[in-house]
Amino acid sequence: MPVAASAIYFLNLRGDVLINRLYRDDVGGNMVDAFRTHIMQTKELGTCPVRQIGGCSFFYMRISNVYIVIVVSSNANVACAFKFVVEAVALFKSYFGGAFDEDAIRNNFVLIYELLDEIMDFGYPQNLSPEILKLYITQEGVRSPFSSKPTDRPVPNATLQVTGAVGWRREGLVYKKNEVFLDIVESVNLLMSSKGSVLRCDVTGKILMKCFLSGMPDLKLGLNDKIGLEKESQLKSRPTKSGKTIELDDVTFHQCVNLTRFNSEKTVSFVPPDGEFELMKYRITEGVNLPFRVLPTIKELGRTRMEVNVKIKSVFGAKMFALGVVIKIPVPKQTAKTSFQVTSGRAKYNASIDCLVWKIRKFPGQTEPTMSAEVELISTMAEKKSWTRPPIQMEFQVPMFTASGLRVRFLKVWEKSGYNTVEWVRYITKAGSYEISSTDGKVLMFGDGILVQQLVSALGSRQTLHNKAIPICKAV
Amino acid sequence: MAPPAQAHRSPSPSQPSGKGEVSDLKSQLRQLAGSRAPGIDDSKRELFKKVISYMTIGIDVSAVFGEMVMCSATSDIVLKKMCYLYVGNYAKVNPDLALLTINFLQRDCKDEDPMIRGLALRSLCSLRVANLVEYLVGPLGLGLKDNNSYVRTVAVIGVLKLYHISAPTCIDADFPPTLKHLMLNDPDPQVVANCLSALQEIWSLEASTSEEASREREALISKPVIYYLLNRIKEFSEWAQCLVLELVAKYVPLDSNEIFDIMNLLEDRLQHANGAVVLSTIKVFLHLTLSMTDVHQQVYERIKAPLLTLVSSGSPEQSYAVLSHLHILVMRAPFIFASDYKHFYCQYNEPSYVKKLKLEMLTAVANESNTYEIVTELCEYAANVDIPIARESIRAVGKIALQQYDVNAIVDRLLQFLEMEKDYVTAEALVLVKDLLRKYPQWSHDCIAVVGSISSQNVQEPKAKAALIWMLGEYSQDMQDAPYILESLTENWEEEPSAEVRLHLLTAVMKCFFKRPPETQKVLGAALAAGLADFHQDVHDRALFYHRLLQYNVSVAERVVNPPKQAVSVFADTQSSEIKDRIFDEFNSLSVVYQKPSYMFTDKDYRGPFEFSDELGNLSIAAESADNVVPAQGVEANDKDLLLSTSEKEEIRGATFNVSGYSAPLYDSSAASVQSELAIISSTSAGSAPSSSLAIDDLLGLGLSAAPAPEPASVPPSLKLNSKAILDPGTFQQKWRQLPISLSQVYLPFLTLILF
Repeated sequence: MPVAASAIYFLNLRGDVLINRLYRDDVGGNMVDAFRTHIMQTKELGTCPVRQIGGCSFFYMRISNVYIVIVVSSNANVACAFKFVVEAVALFKSYFGGAFDEDAIRNNFVLIYELLDEIMDFGYPQNLSPEILKLYITQEGVRSPFSSKPTDRPVPNATLQVTGAVGWRREGLVYKKNEVFLDIVESVNLLMSSKGSVLRCDVTGKILMKCFLSGMPDLKLGLNDKIGLEKESQLKSRPTKSGKTIELDDVTFHQCVNLTRFNSEKTVSFVPPDGEFELMKYRITEGVNLPFRVLPTIKELGRTRMEVNVKIKSVFGAKMFALGVVIKIPVPKQTAKTSFQVTSGRAKYNASIDCLVWKIRKFPGQTEPTMSAEVELISTMAEKKSWTRPPIQMEFQVPMFTASGLRVRFLKVWEKSGYNTVEWVRYITKAGSYEISSTDGKVLMFGDGILVQQLVSALGSRQTLHNKAIPICKAV
Repeated sequence: MAPPAQAHRSPSPSQPSGKGEVSDLKSQLRQLAGSRAPGIDDSKRELFKKVISYMTIGIDVSAVFGEMVMCSATSDIVLKKMCYLYVGNYAKVNPDLALLTINFLQRDCKDEDPMIRGLALRSLCSLRVANLVEYLVGPLGLGLKDNNSYVRTVAVIGVLKLYHISAPTCIDADFPPTLKHLMLNDPDPQVVANCLSALQEIWSLEASTSEEASREREALISKPVIYYLLNRIKEFSEWAQCLVLELVAKYVPLDSNEIFDIMNLLEDRLQHANGAVVLSTIKVFLHLTLSMTDVHQQVYERIKAPLLTLVSSGSPEQSYAVLSHLHILVMRAPFIFASDYKHFYCQYNEPSYVKKLKLEMLTAVANESNTYEIVTELCEYAANVDIPIARESIRAVGKIALQQYDVNAIVDRLLQFLEMEKDYVTAEALVLVKDLLRKYPQWSHDCIAVVGSISSQNVQEPKAKAALIWMLGEYSQDMQDAPYILESLTENWEEEPSAEVRLHLLTAVMKCFFKRPPETQKVLGAALAAGLADFHQDVHDRALFYHRLLQYNVSVAERVVNPPKQAVSVFADTQSSEIKDRIFDEFNSLSVVYQKPSYMFTDKDYRGPFEFSDELGNLSIAAESADNVVPAQGVEANDKDLLLSTSEKEEIRGATFNVSGYSAPLYDSSAASVQSELAIISSTSAGSAPSSSLAIDDLLGLGLSAAPAPEPASVPPSLKLNSKAILDPGTFQQKWRQLPISLSQVYLPFLTLILF
């Protein structure tokens, strides 16, 4: 059964086609109209990313202000299709230098057409690796590297790499200064009850790498994870050094990592692609160090007044500090007036999200700032039913701290020319969905029949990694 | 309902109309075509960009075809690409002009630059004009032998394109064997992968007509080919790996050693960053071990961690795709995932489609040790801002209650829901309490106390109201006020919009009458009178039936209406295990997401409005599995709901008549299909699938016209409807096929309305 994509569309939020590429004739040209009338203009939008209309299935994804729609006419591989879209967007981003939105598409549509031609042929994904594509699809696009006419810079053996065996790295790279940057980025997801007990908690982490290395280097990365350390101590037949070891629930690697060697020797060894890439992803549920504890007390004093007291403890080292800490405490819609007292940072009431927002730009470790607020409500007759209180949400970034405790033990670079390299490592932990229940729903559920069912709900707290340069402390 | 869009790709109103611009472009291009001035490429490029941008927004720029071809003599590769794109887009509508391009494309196919050779070959094959195929064979043959792998990858897919334009040309040129040779020998993995895709497609399409092709198709999953591909798997790109793994999943190893060899080889694929590769590997593992129960279970254990990681990483859409697969695995082996229930807790910023799947999984994995926590979690969702999810979670609590023996705590919580004073929560909880009582009558005492305190005024949803009324009737001896509540409900008979509620009310009053005759007698009279006067056929019939039954013999009536009931032990499963297995066979595809086997959505006979066709036996299955996919409709989907109110029917009819030309058959078939459905439901031997025409006859003969029989009086005479809609399924099919596809798309909602 063929599983090829029939067409790909890029639409803006109004439903205008920005770019489309029909790969096969088995779907009609009016497919995008079907998408518009049956998905975009109905409430169906956002209910399910896979939809069937007529004989065709539509996979769609929204990325900034663009919808990317893949149309297939047969029983296609869904995971593959979405992954393709994600990879394609990453590719476009690497070409546009960052943003992927309607304007970027309009400004680069010729380039996108070129890329769409290369990354998929007749509906089958081909080569999506930016490193290789950039060899022969250049933004300027003046000349093909294969052209027999003389070019300024000969590209050695490029034909092999277009489809070649080491798909992620080309040969003949030369850097004056050989450097590797490692970023360990973790996001903590937490749901805590107001009493401070953890209802659920996990950490998803990734190791991002930036390589500026000459030649074809072989890299080996050592972490303080349990399996790796045990294996190592077996091999060297000496006991492991004391110190914390981390148990990773699961790991996935970039395609450059030699998985066979990981499975047999438990070492992460690889020939890295040039430039930036995501080396590995992992997930941890046990032994998570929470950077913050939040202790809220919220009292409703009669119908028109509320008292909110929040204390936050930072539990990481005193020398470290968190950046961009934001605490959002939901209050009822009919909030009229607020007054605050804070020991650190600034607080205000944001009516558009019905929250008290407390911001602390720089939050040192081992401190306990508090905020107390008085909230006055307009009394309304309609609101006699109790207010379902969403959870408190928190955003933060803590540089040089990992919630999992993961550390890079070594990074070895080996290349046949034997040059010296400089390796840089930095760590950062940020909030995924970090939520603290403002009332303990459970206590009330089993309480004496007062059914004030409390809602633990939240808005997304996605944020991008703090881009400001963080001092790189440790050269391995 | 919007009319089917007429324009091919209509430009939005803010865009320029294009007429003047196109002729401007034409003259500018003509000027440039002859020029050899330096820097000419840059100005050409600007113009080409304009042409392409017009093309993209839907303005027809085919008028400048000739000029574009003239300008294509250039060494600038970007210009060439734009030109190729343009030509590929318009060649199909201008086959004559396309001939103009053959020349320069063929020349480019022999360029020294492999890049240009590849591009030209790709464009040449993308022209999709049948009368130009003769020009394709030569360049393709050369392309397959090209010493550059880029050209070869393009050529391989080119062969597939040629096959789709003209299959005989492709076969006659002996391309498939060449591809096979390349697949087994080419050093470049992408060439191999493309050969594999192309051969799979060609041979499966040929297999129906040629025995050799079906043999070749089988040969693809033979040991040598599979081993060859597996040995090279690490060379392939992630996409090609998916392709290969998909093929491996079809392979049947000879013995268990082989199975373990393959699994050992592929083990590390589970750590791949690409979720699609991981899923494909999982498919291989699951399929290889199907016959080895214990190993199969180990596989589940092994794949758990990678799957859970995939779910928690990536975009919501990606995690949805993975979750759907996790969902099917959880449904197959809930006990294996029982300890991981926390992974299925919903996060608040997740989209509702993800939450919905998670709720279903939470329901499935609930067992004695984790029920308490799961139900507690679900109770928190019940107050969710997202009302559909809140409803789902209440339903999930109910389902868990129906699965478990220890329902004590759950019943308490359901009863607490009833007191939450949120209309939708109360409504859902009522329905659940009703189901619960049917399974565990011993709880009636606790439930009734709470249910009795609910004011029927606060319950508006038909389902919930019907459930409440059912309980009032069933437990009227325990509920002090039952006859009086029923009385007030009967007084408001006229205001009750839902026929289902009125039907239940009739029955409840009857039941109550047998338990507490003196208090109910008056109500019964009023209810029967109101029922007899009811404009809804079913309600009328049931009232009449009760009336006559009571007239005939009261004790017989009691036996009919109020027989001793046995507790329901198992509620019917919605999907047959055969279908579930089928979906499992098609792991890692759309089937899993849609939760129905592929033939239901790819075969024309099954998909969309055609679901009622052909085999009546399949009808209920198809409809039910569709319910699972669209639970919003599923709430309403109940065979009783087929009895749409007459006003809705009128709408459908009116709308159907608006379609000129095709309205008559459409009307026929839709109305008749409703009847045939009803006939199946009403006839006692539903499972044995009587022939539909017979069923319709029965229906009409009995006059049980719950659905409006096509009465000639209501039909405009010009349309010439059959007075009796007796059509066999085959004829329906025929008529449906005559409809243009856009029509059937537009009418899909109506038909689903009828079907569900």
